[in-house]
Amino acid sequence: MLKRFVVAGVLALPFVVAAQQSPASAAASSAASARQAPVAKPVASHAPASTTMLPVEQTALVKQYCAGCHSERGKAGGLSLAAFDATTLEDHGETTEKMIRKLRAGMMPPSGARRPEPAVLTGLAAAFEGRMDKAAALKPNPGSRPFQRLNRAEYANAVKDLLNVDVDVTTYLPPDTIGHGFDNVADAQTFSPTLMDGYLRAASQISRLAVGDRQATATSTTFKIARAASQMRRVDGAPMGTRGGTSVVHTFPADGHYVFKTSLHYEPLGGLAGRNTMTAYGLTEQVEISVNGERVALFDLNTRMSETDPKNSLELTTPPVHIKAGPQRVTAAFIQRLDGPVDDLLMPIENTLADVSITFGITMLPHLRDFVVQGPLDVTGVSDTPSRLKVFSCRPTNAAEEESCAAEIVNKLAAQAFRGAPTAADLQDAIKFYEQGRKKGGFEPGIRLAVQSILMSPRFLFRLEEQPAGIRTATYRIADEDLASRLSFFLWGTAPDAELVRAAAIGSLRTSAGVEKQVRRMLADQRAEALSTRFGSQWLRLQDLDKIFPDYLLYPQYDDTLARAMKRETELFFDSIVREDRKVTELLTADYTFVNERLARHYGIPNVMGSAFQRVALPPYRRGLLGQGSILTLTSVADRTSPVQRGKWVMEVLLASPPPPPPPNVPSLDVVKANEGGKLLSTRERMEEHRKNPACTSCHKVIDPLGLALENFDVTGAWRIKDNEVPVDVVGELYDGTKMDGPSGLRDALLKHSNVFLTGFTESLMTYALGRRIEHTDMPAIRTIVRDAGKSNNRMSAFVMGVVNSPAFKMGMADVAKQRRATDVVR
Amino acid sequence: MYITQKHISRRTVLKGVGVTMALPFLEAMVPARATFAQARGKVRLAAIEMVHGSAGSTAFGIKNNLWAPAAVGREFDLSPGSLAPLEPFRNDITIVSNTDVRNAEAFTAPEIGGDHFRSSAVFLTQMHPKQTQGSDVLVGTSLDQYYAQRFGQTTAIPSMQLCIENVDQAGGCSYGYSCTYTDSISWAAPDRPLPMIRDPRTVFDQLFGVGATPAERQERRTEDKSILDWLGTAVTRLNKNLGAADRARLADYLEDVREIERRIQQVEAAHSKGEQRELPGAPVGVPDSFEQHVKLMFDLQALAFASDTTRVFAFKMGRDASNRVYPDSGYKAAFHSASHHQDRDERITDFAKINKYHISMIPYFLEKLKNTPDGDSNLLNNTLIVYGSPMGNSNVHNHKRCPLFLAGHAGGALKGGVHHKAAAGTPMANVMLSVAHLLGMDDFKSFGDSTSAYDLNTVPATTAAAE
Repeated sequence: MLKRFVVAGVLALPFVVAAQQSPASAAASSAASARQAPVAKPVASHAPASTTMLPVEQTALVKQYCAGCHSERGKAGGLSLAAFDATTLEDHGETTEKMIRKLRAGMMPPSGARRPEPAVLTGLAAAFEGRMDKAAALKPNPGSRPFQRLNRAEYANAVKDLLNVDVDVTTYLPPDTIGHGFDNVADAQTFSPTLMDGYLRAASQISRLAVGDRQATATSTTFKIARAASQMRRVDGAPMGTRGGTSVVHTFPADGHYVFKTSLHYEPLGGLAGRNTMTAYGLTEQVEISVNGERVALFDLNTRMSETDPKNSLELTTPPVHIKAGPQRVTAAFIQRLDGPVDDLLMPIENTLADVSITFGITMLPHLRDFVVQGPLDVTGVSDTPSRLKVFSCRPTNAAEEESCAAEIVNKLAAQAFRGAPTAADLQDAIKFYEQGRKKGGFEPGIRLAVQSILMSPRFLFRLEEQPAGIRTATYRIADEDLASRLSFFLWGTAPDAELVRAAAIGSLRTSAGVEKQVRRMLADQRAEALSTRFGSQWLRLQDLDKIFPDYLLYPQYDDTLARAMKRETELFFDSIVREDRKVTELLTADYTFVNERLARHYGIPNVMGSAFQRVALPPYRRGLLGQGSILTLTSVADRTSPVQRGKWVMEVLLASPPPPPPPNVPSLDVVKANEGGKLLSTRERMEEHRKNPACTSCHKVIDPLGLALENFDVTGAWRIKDNEVPVDVVGELYDGTKMDGPSGLRDALLKHSNVFLTGFTESLMTYALGRRIEHTDMPAIRTIVRDAGKSNNRMSAFVMGVVNSPAFKMGMADVAKQRRATDVVR
Repeated sequence: MYITQKHISRRTVLKGVGVTMALPFLEAMVPARATFAQARGKVRLAAIEMVHGSAGSTAFGIKNNLWAPAAVGREFDLSPGSLAPLEPFRNDITIVSNTDVRNAEAFTAPEIGGDHFRSSAVFLTQMHPKQTQGSDVLVGTSLDQYYAQRFGQTTAIPSMQLCIENVDQAGGCSYGYSCTYTDSISWAAPDRPLPMIRDPRTVFDQLFGVGATPAERQERRTEDKSILDWLGTAVTRLNKNLGAADRARLADYLEDVREIERRIQQVEAAHSKGEQRELPGAPVGVPDSFEQHVKLMFDLQALAFASDTTRVFAFKMGRDASNRVYPDSGYKAAFHSASHHQDRDERITDFAKINKYHISMIPYFLEKLKNTPDGDSNLLNNTLIVYGSPMGNSNVHNHKRCPLFLAGHAGGALKGGVHHKAAAGTPMANVMLSVAHLLGMDDFKSFGDSTSAYDLNTVPATTAAAE
């Protein structure tokens, strides 16, 4: 112990020492700091305020504490520091940044190993950072990426903005590859004939939906109703007094007659419990089809309906119904005949089809399985739809006016679609297509073909950023128009609006005040919810929730409706941090969240009624992201929690330090029995059995405690005190030795490393904003953002502004004849 | 090549809703001159799965030849059993009876009883599915996908997956199995089930382009062509001020543009040479009748084979535990209940009627293929059809003595006209391995739990199959 103090004291000499340090070293260091002050005087304006130690001392520290394991022979973590020389830090940027990351997180040297005082380690990290930041300030590197193409979400949003038409792009475009956590990373956006074909089909179909299709022929669109969707309550958009089913906005291509079909799952009664409403109480279940809330058909169900009887089958088909073109809300749902769906003595579960495995045909309530819209069987015309009103900004009354009107329409649409002024050639091309269409079918078909061509233009599909002509410097400021697009796709997930385009055109994005004004306006706009639904959602990996399906016998309360409420909760929560410009650390600590009745009941929160979400206060254990059902469920497996998955999630998402992948041939936890000699084992006990293998321990002792602290939350995020009849044990140690007790303890331990959390958050925000991977060369800029945000109390807007003002966001790299990227040549 | 049109009027469509909609275009779709040189020697594969085994897999069924004929070799008599409808094509079929699908059996206690929810995934993979309801599904790569991945890349669409019954991919199916095991027979990789398409319209659009009439499809093709044409110049114009990486990316994009152009040109070139092929009006949606639906799917497969749009289909004709009724089979019980015949002779006999009804769909397809010239031969000669079920006696959910036959001649590699009775305990995977060899994947040493390849071309001595 004494020896350790001495070593620390000697090594800490050059530091400005924190108050809690030993008086001896404090005295020594103040003497030393005078000696070395000139050496490490920060040059870059954003360098840390503290002074740093001499390179020779840095080298000595690394040799003493790191090179033992990170030796030529040991190469722990695949890294050798045997030849480490602090004078050449900048030449090994990638390694240096890795070291900074581990030091800052407090992960190295590992707990249990010999390590200096914490202040020495932070001092070392600060010294490294200072050096790297200084080098970066002298030679800024904004990085580069190939151009991005519109992904599914951006395409749908841009089409909605441009043509006022909602399209289900999943029918046309292949799924986006997620790279580095996000679906907009340019390097992961490959091209293929399938994509090309998808763009073609989409442009063709969308232009028809937008202008209206007098030649429309009958097709059918099927909306599936998830089997695990509860049929107990009204779904969003359905008329009051209905329950279950589905309600969708469908864009009808033309006025005409359409047929609706819906079918029941297995049987008409809801066998186990719902049967009583029909038989014992003499009530008839009814299914209603409605358009914009108005009933167009009502079916009485009867007890003899059966999938085996073609004459009285489970499929319900309406006669042809006349419907106008454009988006209309169509609903198929049951009429709610009783308040309580079933027998009072039998506690109904929300998962109304949970018991499907007991035997087919038993459901809590009758259940709709799909809803089909078929038609038009004939076309009676094309009524004015929101999209026609948007497209036809003028209407020629005679042939002479057609040309100028077409030019006006094309001009307007092209300007918006291309996110900037169209060139004369752009307009000429679109007009050519107009003429081609007009020759064949007249004015409207002409406009339609022009719209189709605009949707196929590379200027619409690709976010091309031109280099200024004749640049001589290594880096350059991107064009104002391109900056407007970057802002808009970052904050809104769609193309810029007219005001932003105008701001770019008059040059007001050239001043930081001008940019800030636009960013503030955009953050206040409804569309900024994309930061939550697109960025936040992917950062937190909410899409993984769709892949988890908890065992319905162990967790009968879980169903699709609950899962969607959980996802929505997290989105609304993240959105509130953006809207109210709260501290980003409140993502971990906030004492409120958003729940609807269903979710409130799941969490045990009283007095929340209805399907609308409302803000509620939370008890300490449920605060922040780590208390949210979405995250707790998506890190579980079907029949048990997975502390490893939860721990891994915390490390990857909240600490931006992914653990190394497991060695091959590791037996899974499921191989460890759930009971041992007749004694039931909790998940924790099973893990400890599993972890006896020494090859696993080194990593799992870091990962597991993070997840074990959350063991009070079951697979679906509900609170529990027992697991498999064994009381849960949530006590553990963070990798740096901090004691943790349950979710609150984990949160506090993470807050000790809030700088690490904020840095990781900023990296993700940058990845999403730039559409490229974060390189080690970006770390100085990221540190600047985090430092500056700290001065603004870590508010969300400070991070957003930081990203927007970073060189990487505003600058381009002049072209140095680059190799084609790997992703471009794979095919 | 698809033009000369047979327009289906709106009135017909209107009438078709809720009624039937056959697509009787066989005669018309035969090309005027059959010169599909590019397709010569390329065997088409249609792998068809039916669920619930067969009546002929029971002791009573074996004794009474409800599936496998009594005699092996060439002199087999199909008339007593479910395969009777295949009699007109007896020289084109290769029956392999008595094989087992062991990987569909339960391996562990929790798997017992889950046969319905695991079997389909085994049929073309002959691997044992991992029991899970999560996204970590795992079985094996299916035969059709091995073939498509190796040989399907030169056609517009490497492979397609079709089905008849509604699928429900959300969440888990029963006994802790993910629904994907129940819903898909086609696996691009052990963890990548491919979705099966049920709506013939979707199949049609993917194969031949969007549009209800040939004229409409032609119009859309023309539009697409003029847009693709223009993209070349539009991109060149943009290129000037872009960086090298961006230019490289656009060059790749232009390759895709040209690829789609090439496909359209292929279609048009065939058209101008007079190789006109008639397409029916595009189907509206899923027909109500099983027969109409299946035949429509066969129409589309034949058409896709004839036009060499794709060479590989996986076709799932049933879904496990389905209670569909086949009124035209002559037995009106629901499929799943009928399959649990309690080993009673008369109910087994009834169940055989349903099996026979399913088989009665096949000659329609075979005839269509036989009547379609392909190269110097016809499509039936150049196609290999695998029809079978990964279950045997459905009453007890076993996977022994499963139904299986091949049809077509795989480009001459399969002689046909023979009934093989496998030795007891022979894995169905042995036949699948031989099928892989027939398809030109002769480097396959094993497939699933195969023990050796099955010699399909040596005719066993014509004797009554010993039992």
